[in-house]
Amino acid sequence: MKAKTLKAQALPALLAGTNRQAMSFANGLEVLAHEDAANASLNALSLAAQVLRFERPLPPANFNTEPVIEDHRPILPHAMRRMLIRLLKDKRTTDDLERALAWAFGRCKVRPHPFDLPRIDAFVHAHAEHLGLTAQRWAEQGDDSVAPQQSYFDADDLDEMTWSKAPLAQRARFIADSRKHDAAAARALVESVWTQENADGRVRLLMALEAGLNSSDQPFLEGMVKDRAPRVRSLAQRFLARISGSGAEHPALKACLERIRRSTTGLLKKRPLLALELPATVKEHEAKAWIRNTFAEVGCDELARALALTEMAMIEAAEKDENLLLAFALMAAQDRRLDLLEQIAGGRLKDAWEQLSLCGVQDLGLMPAEERLQWAGVLVRPYGAKLPASYAAWSWLHRSLEGPGPAKLMEAVFRTSRWLSDLQDEKKLGPEWLELLAALCPSSQRPQLRALMMSLDAPLTMTSLPLLDILDSLEKVGHHEQ
Amino acid sequence: MALSLENVEALAPDQASLDAARKLLKPANWAAVASSGDGLIWGECQGSGATPYRVVVSEADSGYECTCPSRKFPCKHSLALMWLRAGAKLPFATAPVPAWVSDWMARRRGPTAASPASSGESSPKASMQAAASDPSEAKSDPKAEARAAAARERNRQEREASVLAGLDELDVWLSDQVGRGLAGFAAQSAQVCRLIAQRLVDAKASGLATRLENLPARLFSLPEAIRPMAAIQELGQVHLLAAAYRRQNANQDALPPGLKADVRQAIGWSVSREALLDDTDAVRVRARWCVVAALSEVQPDRLRRLETWLWRETELEAPRFAVLIDFVPVATGAASGGYSVGDRVEAELVFYPSAVPLRAQIVQLFSGAASSDEPLALPGYNLAEAYRCYEQAMLQQPWLGAWPVCVRGARVRRQGSQLFLYDSDERAAPLALPLLPAQCSLASPLLNIAKLDAIGLWDGYYLTLCWAQTELGRWVNA
Repeated sequence: MKAKTLKAQALPALLAGTNRQAMSFANGLEVLAHEDAANASLNALSLAAQVLRFERPLPPANFNTEPVIEDHRPILPHAMRRMLIRLLKDKRTTDDLERALAWAFGRCKVRPHPFDLPRIDAFVHAHAEHLGLTAQRWAEQGDDSVAPQQSYFDADDLDEMTWSKAPLAQRARFIADSRKHDAAAARALVESVWTQENADGRVRLLMALEAGLNSSDQPFLEGMVKDRAPRVRSLAQRFLARISGSGAEHPALKACLERIRRSTTGLLKKRPLLALELPATVKEHEAKAWIRNTFAEVGCDELARALALTEMAMIEAAEKDENLLLAFALMAAQDRRLDLLEQIAGGRLKDAWEQLSLCGVQDLGLMPAEERLQWAGVLVRPYGAKLPASYAAWSWLHRSLEGPGPAKLMEAVFRTSRWLSDLQDEKKLGPEWLELLAALCPSSQRPQLRALMMSLDAPLTMTSLPLLDILDSLEKVGHHEQ
Repeated sequence: MALSLENVEALAPDQASLDAARKLLKPANWAAVASSGDGLIWGECQGSGATPYRVVVSEADSGYECTCPSRKFPCKHSLALMWLRAGAKLPFATAPVPAWVSDWMARRRGPTAASPASSGESSPKASMQAAASDPSEAKSDPKAEARAAAARERNRQEREASVLAGLDELDVWLSDQVGRGLAGFAAQSAQVCRLIAQRLVDAKASGLATRLENLPARLFSLPEAIRPMAAIQELGQVHLLAAAYRRQNANQDALPPGLKADVRQAIGWSVSREALLDDTDAVRVRARWCVVAALSEVQPDRLRRLETWLWRETELEAPRFAVLIDFVPVATGAASGGYSVGDRVEAELVFYPSAVPLRAQIVQLFSGAASSDEPLALPGYNLAEAYRCYEQAMLQQPWLGAWPVCVRGARVRRQGSQLFLYDSDERAAPLALPLLPAQCSLASPLLNIAKLDAIGLWDGYYLTLCWAQTELGRWVNA
């Protein structure tokens, strides 16, 4: 009896049913009918089953071609892998902890172990751009809206040929860097991909053109005045207004000026006084968001020029209006004018940190890390030893900095043990606070923070101590490789 | 062995238990914690009542006991004690084993009952085990024993007759299915299989009943296109089992002893642990074993089947793989056995009699489980050779279920969303085993690995990749 014969004769009958199609026991299958006629069909079933079980699975005619990924970043040390998975699996920690880890991976140019990517899938999808090329590829796999690429490039390897394939943040940084060397060439690169970008991409790339803005950009910017996205139109108009002699209208500036009331004060020497009038439709709790939306797209110099004041005089004139000072603080940070911010936060708006945190995340754009630390230092300094007890304010600072905070901040934490004990007394101190402190702590102060944490109850430090270990390890591997 | 936080997490029945255990990590909750120095730790945890709960944990196999009334296993107190130990959050002073701990050790069923910790001087003065073996009560009545033996034999014969009658009904049912045709069997399998499974339970052929009860789920886990062929394979095996059972029943020597044992176990005759330990013919292997897979599956009878697959590291003429199978009620929440993938343990195993011995019980542990990242020294089989081993095993036991295959120099390839373990070795015909769809996401990082050594479980349709050794280190299905 041959397997081929058995299959040819028995399978059709078994599939269709022997009631419909009688099984043929000819051509070598006679033995089944002779030996046990009553059970011939069932014996044929068993034999057919064994024939099928011994058939080897055939490989597919062809396999997919996997993209080539040359990810040269060092991998997170093995000892830290389980710790990382435990922290990130099942979303048991805060967003701040996730962000701290992602930024540390990006800063130290280290990547998670490729085998761990499925286990920390949500984290990888949220922060792929910081985690290296393998993680970027992983994040794109499940995203149907993104066409899979055949090659991936790290930020350091980007050039004129490959830059457009990088994540948006890296592209914007590349364009900003290129503008410093050759503004026209960088603009030409943006022009070449402009039509393929979505609104977010267009805004970010346009913001990257801010560096080295000059009159040769005017034709390109004028083309954007009719862009589909209001944000792009507004930004383009702002840039056009900046280019001297362009004569373009700046609608955001106009909107600001409409809301600023000007008067004078003083008996002997008249001084200008500025006040912000909120629209009647803006309720108190919406005021901060309105200020941010209205003033974020205006530069300090533009507004001062429009008010016919110097920038310093403009700040002095607004010293009795907290809302206006807050608007100026926003503008100063946006313009990277830390001298002006210091004037505002130093004496006039001492809780600028908390006030700004209520406006939403401060996008510091392409501000370098050192400058960000200075910016944070300006905001933190007026608080001295009386640090804010608002978790949202600390979280905002961390999100704005995209990394550890200034050393002075942690010094204040170590110096004022009362701040922590107050939080504990008010039952506010939870693991999330310590995660945030660990995330904001510069590497040089981590031993001190670790010692402080060891004195607390174990449940409070379950996530923050491993976070410190991983951050230390990332920096060690990253620096070692560099 | 040192308990690890991964062990604790794996043992926890749910997240709420872990969260509750976390709250017990404060030293103030623990009146005393101590260690015997050879793998036993215990402590007294203050609960809401006046008397603290007594908790004991065996580090060797993550066994535990607590006096609290919780219906979760392990309870939060046991988890907290393990956690304290794993995280070194409290010093565990070495102390003599107290009587209540010794008592628990003596009552324990399983490998550590014979472990050094429970033997010798630390044995309790009074225990249930000692009472059971008290010679003064052991004097038995020969007539009563003979009566009991006769009753047992009568029961056995009745069950044999009942099973045979059940198999006759099965034949009728199978004939009906074959008459109706198997092309559409999968669609109606849930209903028809449940009926015959119930009849087989009544006929005391519980093994076969479970096999048929699980059949619809098994068929529906396969692509629709291959379900008719799969139905032929599965029902063909069922008939083969029934025929083999009748044959061994009619003639005791018709089948080799191993295969006969396989048939009887598949039909539903179970072998108790005690009977297995008393079986002098059973294969016993003392070796160093490595845990290569820990699988968990909920069965239709609301029991969770926990499989721990072991790879023998010591060079011996003995089975290369062993599987420890435990069943726990789903309601307890326990989702894993005491061992994690990568654990190494020195132990003596006894294998259930079989033509292809795989299932085993631990007779004695000679070392606690220790986690290790050392690679395994896998034999130099390519995929085709590994597959040939599977075929040879199937020749010996035609209804073979999942079979462990180990292969070197393979790679993972993809076609669409399906992954395959592929061997492009030109010495043999190309072979590609499809990976279980549920693990495709977890295994997809292996696509970029040029060559890997792997251990997997092949069930005839899909390969469950359990362990892979690569240039980037070890990948495990956990």
